[in-house]
Amino acid sequence: MHHANHHYGHAHILARYCKIPDPMHPPRLRGYLQHGWNIGDGLAPGTPYVAGSPLFVWSEETRRRSWSQGRRNVTVVGAPFSYLVEMAPAVEEPGEGTIFYPFHGWEGQQIFGDHQRLIDEVKETETGPVTACLYWNEYRMRPVRALYEKAGFRVICHGYRGFWWRENNRDFLVNQLAELRRHRRVVSNRLCSAIWYGLLAGREAAVYGDPMVLDNADMTFGGEPRLHRQWPEVYGKETDYAACHQLARAQLGADELAGPAELRKLLGWPKEGYV
Amino acid sequence: MPDRPDMAAALAAAPLTNLVRAGGEMFAWSERTGRPAAALLGHVVLPLAGPGRTVLVAGPHPDDLVAALTAGGATVTWLLRSLGDAEQAAQDHPAVTVLAGAIGKADLTAGYHLVVAADGIGRLNSAEGDQLPAGELLDRLARAVRPDGALVLVHDNQLGAHHTVRLDPSTRQRDDAAWYPPEAADDPASRAQLTARLTASGLSVDAAWAAFPEPAEPAVLIGGAALGDVTSPLRPWLKTVLGQAYTTAFRGRPVLSDPRRLVDRALRAGAEDTVAGGWLVVAHAPGTEAHTRAWDDVLIGDRSGVHAIGPDGPRTLVPYREVEVRGLRRAGVLRPVPGYQLEQRLFELCAAADVRGLRLEIARYEAWLAGQDLSGPAALADLSSIAVTADGPEVLFANWAPAEPVAVQVALVRALWQFAVRLITWSRPHPWPITASAADLAAILVGMSGRSLADEELRTAVDLQVTLDSAEYGLTPSEQREYRLALLAVQPGTAPVDVAGYRELVEALWRQRYQASHLLAMMEWNEQIIRSRDTALSKMDWELQLYRRTWGGRSLMLARRAYKMVKK
Repeated sequence: MHHANHHYGHAHILARYCKIPDPMHPPRLRGYLQHGWNIGDGLAPGTPYVAGSPLFVWSEETRRRSWSQGRRNVTVVGAPFSYLVEMAPAVEEPGEGTIFYPFHGWEGQQIFGDHQRLIDEVKETETGPVTACLYWNEYRMRPVRALYEKAGFRVICHGYRGFWWRENNRDFLVNQLAELRRHRRVVSNRLCSAIWYGLLAGREAAVYGDPMVLDNADMTFGGEPRLHRQWPEVYGKETDYAACHQLARAQLGADELAGPAELRKLLGWPKEGYV
Repeated sequence: MPDRPDMAAALAAAPLTNLVRAGGEMFAWSERTGRPAAALLGHVVLPLAGPGRTVLVAGPHPDDLVAALTAGGATVTWLLRSLGDAEQAAQDHPAVTVLAGAIGKADLTAGYHLVVAADGIGRLNSAEGDQLPAGELLDRLARAVRPDGALVLVHDNQLGAHHTVRLDPSTRQRDDAAWYPPEAADDPASRAQLTARLTASGLSVDAAWAAFPEPAEPAVLIGGAALGDVTSPLRPWLKTVLGQAYTTAFRGRPVLSDPRRLVDRALRAGAEDTVAGGWLVVAHAPGTEAHTRAWDDVLIGDRSGVHAIGPDGPRTLVPYREVEVRGLRRAGVLRPVPGYQLEQRLFELCAAADVRGLRLEIARYEAWLAGQDLSGPAALADLSSIAVTADGPEVLFANWAPAEPVAVQVALVRALWQFAVRLITWSRPHPWPITASAADLAAILVGMSGRSLADEELRTAVDLQVTLDSAEYGLTPSEQREYRLALLAVQPGTAPVDVAGYRELVEALWRQRYQASHLLAMMEWNEQIIRSRDTALSKMDWELQLYRRTWGGRSLMLARRAYKMVKK
């Protein structure tokens, strides 16, 4: 329905899980799928919403919050990344080094902060090799990329999430899971989807460093200070893995995942054997 | 009000020697309903009568109860205020002495071994003469009982769920029977007040049950220690049988609000006595005989017979008649086991949006069902008739079993689909899209059990439900067709398909409006997206034209045309 349903290959992962015959061209989702970890009502701020449409959120907590903010047609389905982890064969290797996700802006909002200070702090804290994963628009900024390369980091990008059903990197999350599993730790300077993903993939996680500032940051839902207050467990250079992993499972709805037949019906996709 | 009697026919008829006009009889008035007596009532009344005993039946009662008393050898006197009804009764029951008139005029001084006032005291006064207050009416009934004789009285509860949910305001101006205020200050308004009043009238109360769902047709009696005991292991079972009794009584009747919710809440609060339809009291007049008859705390009577629940478990007092209707056979399953009711548990999990808990419960139910003999009652048991005990699910109550085994998939789909219908039409909160139909919810619930649902299976399940309800409620073929269509079309805005409560209709209206607003917004969105795609298409077409105009494009087009010609 909304083009954000196809961001990061979300709809494609769900189609694969539901055994849709052509998962690379998933049927239209009858509703709005939460497309990133969210401390609001599940929709990204400013998303034009067709009144009354189903809103598919990742966690029970988001469902409750969304309800409290006037949304009524909210259903928990779990994060597509959780389905991906469910489908991907388990990996025993603990991984090596750290994957670092600097807080990113997006097409509509740039971030302001001192990348160098952040790099220094990461270098000082992390013991093994570090991979810096930049968002696609920062990856394209040669000076920003150079800063990380100069620090000796391996610099990667998971790809473009797509826009209006075009240029979607359908394997975005597949690549991200593979990268997360290569490393022992995942860190960021702000609590974001990647931290939860890393924890769900069985990696240690830590949030520290300058959280940076988003241009015209929307403080409706409390912003960065609220993240500290609500999920203090993930902040700091060393964190309690078991506690953080449990939080990640809740935030990503990993224990709420629907079965394929159930999910097809929830998303408005045809039942198996029906076109 | 009935038509005036046919005077010519009345004059031509043979005189009725068993009819006594006591005074205060009402002309041009009738209260006959033709309704059969509730099985429970017969069970309580008949053992107190018998050969050589005199019985006074006070007020309108079902004919078959009077006939059964006479057949049992009792000498029956029947007091009716309507002259027309009295004449008809005298004609139909020649062995019965019929007194036509008001209780205040009737001579009851001879006394009776048994006085039956199962209609209460509301229709003992007539429009003629003095209007005796409630206390005086109870006194008269009590005085009519001989020493060692018994009174069986059913008294209406004005606070009962049946009055609370009544949609019809029954205003005095509209009601021919309301020539005098029906609610008087001295009318006992609780079970305790009623028993105290009878005791003050000189009787000893042997049993006083709360009667459900309505005083005119009690199907469940709860008394003794079971009444108000929220710790009793009988509670889930009582919830099921009361739910069934209220469904049978209120099916197709417009009400303010579904009485099952109210009664269910009362049951959880131990306040069922407060909302009962009325109270059924058995009392005796002091005498020389020892009254040793022990009454059971819980009695139920329906199509599956009359049963008592005692400390040793259920006992069948009147067995059901073996019948086979539309491929179903009668089954009298009555198993008050401790545990929780599955449907209630699923409702709670749905309300809490606990999908994990729902999957666990549904998977357990599916595994249990797959291991059951599906030629037995388990195949047709609603989720409301299943308790989950420490040893797994068990059928609490069932009236029917299939004559032929039912496939596991069909039994599962029927039960889960019925639950989905209840979620929507009973306005129960659930964690799935509000815009989902019952068929959508059924597919999700079946998916939770690890199975998938085909459209044909859903149809078979709906047909099975129609068969089951037709057997239970005696639906005619046209009612069955209408019912099947209604069940197949349960959408978010559908009103209840069994008990039509105004509150539930308001909720259904809200959902209809939600859906209508959503559909309008969708139409607008579709228009926008069509416009947006048209623009994208035009842009691509423009680019295509541009490329075709270049030498490269033209060559490509020529090559394509040439290839097509060669291929032909």
